[in-house]
Amino acid sequence: MSSLRPQAQRSPLTFLRVWIGFQPNQGLRTVITYLLMGVLAASTVGPFIIMLSVSLTQNIRFLLFPIDLIPNPITLENFQLLFARTLALRWTYNSFYVALVSTLGGVFTSTMAGYAFARGDFIGRNVLFYMFVGILIMPETALIIPQYIMLSDLGLVNSYTALIGPWFASIFGTFLMRQQFLSIPRDYDDAARIDGANIFDTWLRVLMPQLIPAMVTLGILRFMGNWNSFLYPLIVTTKAEMRTLPVGLGTVARSGGDAGLDMAGAVLGFVPTFVVFLLGQRYIIQGVSLSGLKG
Amino acid sequence: MSSATLRPVAQRRALTKRILKSLPWYPFIIINLVVFVVFNLWPWLSMFQTATFKTDLLSHREFVGLDNFVKMAGDELLHLALKNTFLFALLYVPPLVVVSLLVAILVNQKLRGMKFFRSVYFLPNVTNIAVLALVFRRFLSPRDDAPFNYLLGLVGIPAQRFLLDIHQALASIAGLGVWQSFGFFMVIWLAALQAIPQPLYDAGRVDGAYGWRLHRHVTIPLLRPTAAFVVVITTIGALQEFGAIFILTGGGPVNATTTAVYHIYSQAFNFTRFGYASALSILLFLIILVIAYIQNRYLKFDEEVY
Repeated sequence: MSSLRPQAQRSPLTFLRVWIGFQPNQGLRTVITYLLMGVLAASTVGPFIIMLSVSLTQNIRFLLFPIDLIPNPITLENFQLLFARTLALRWTYNSFYVALVSTLGGVFTSTMAGYAFARGDFIGRNVLFYMFVGILIMPETALIIPQYIMLSDLGLVNSYTALIGPWFASIFGTFLMRQQFLSIPRDYDDAARIDGANIFDTWLRVLMPQLIPAMVTLGILRFMGNWNSFLYPLIVTTKAEMRTLPVGLGTVARSGGDAGLDMAGAVLGFVPTFVVFLLGQRYIIQGVSLSGLKG
Repeated sequence: MSSATLRPVAQRRALTKRILKSLPWYPFIIINLVVFVVFNLWPWLSMFQTATFKTDLLSHREFVGLDNFVKMAGDELLHLALKNTFLFALLYVPPLVVVSLLVAILVNQKLRGMKFFRSVYFLPNVTNIAVLALVFRRFLSPRDDAPFNYLLGLVGIPAQRFLLDIHQALASIAGLGVWQSFGFFMVIWLAALQAIPQPLYDAGRVDGAYGWRLHRHVTIPLLRPTAAFVVVITTIGALQEFGAIFILTGGGPVNATTTAVYHIYSQAFNFTRFGYASALSILLFLIILVIAYIQNRYLKFDEEVY
């Protein structure tokens, strides 16, 4: 059947061809497509290349065009200045610590709760489930002030507990893992039970090993989300040494230093998520399309 | 008589059995529950209480009833902030929805290197706003030979002041937002485009639908749930924009980028009016809820098309 289908009608450029009478031949169409995508790619990558280049340039007060993309001489002075003048090293440590604990905790609790909501039959399950849905639709910025007040009452402002706390459980993660557990046939549970496993063993030894890819996806999304969060860590930290890297870099940006110093800070904040993205982009894109399809 | 006495016993036994069956499941949800009660439910409930006080969280705490809500009517900066918030949503949502869909259509073609382009477009989205602000503060500098003005100069447009201009600041930040997020929504559109079953097009053609009619009756109805999802999500995001504004403009110039969330932040942390900030948070929550509800209804978000 599929060989009967003309290739052109499957192509999305059919939109242009049919709707506005634009009808290039195959070769021209390919050239135009690559041209458009190339320009767009340059616009998304260009700023990061310039960022890196300026961060390695000596004595650069302003970023003015045209610039040499490969600085001469290449210097690490801006990074030395950044670490000497700001608490960038400490912020980096804070960010890594908070993001790692938040990610591990969030994935772990989501996997547990997802299992309970998928397989468990316990009193209050539906009430809790709808409560979680209710929390999920709460816009988080509306909760920032009362969260700060609560943490202030408890004396937890400027603590790792405050930075990590809300990330130690994830409603999105719980729903995602619940979906994943539901996709595994109950036959596995039954077989495990016949072999004498209790619900804990079934969860840990029988079902969880099948969900490692989903857990990795969730973990990467949580890591990115936590690392990139800004408003919450901004309000729960007032001391410079407790800030996360993005919040600390925000203060650098507002202080109006050299372009070189700014860009060194930007590179420092850029690299960790870039590396995670390079290693895990398959999982990230999977996770995003998953969240979109589920609506 | 005997059945009447027996029934409660049987009921109690059934209940005991159900409780015993339930108990092993609670350890699986206890951490989630504690986190949500402490960091969501409690703040959420206490917000309504705090909203009725005038408090700086330190020495001063005075019950004022609904005064904080009455005060909103006379708070001109709030009115400006709400106007800016809606304006920002208008500057951000439509371009983002359209651009991300067009890019999705572009990269949905079966050509070499498409995966590479998709990853490249996704890159700004995984980068945190502080990094983007550090970079774009330099790009958007009002100097004649700063990157954007240099590029404008190449096509003969005079230098602009961008973040320092009261008419351009909000649009500049919206532009940065679109640039940051289009890759994310491109992925969502892509998933929707690829989920359209080819036989539907074949069936449409058999029924005599070609060209525009085919898309009118197949593609568009099938993209509709995704369109609704994207519009609602981007709008909710736009109404809560904060990071770029905080770092790049601090609400200025002359309050031109003071949005609702920035106003709340500023009332709480610059003026220590925590009661009023709580009341404003309730207002923000209601606004987002109402807009999301209207969009859901109008766009028929829940309609099962597949």
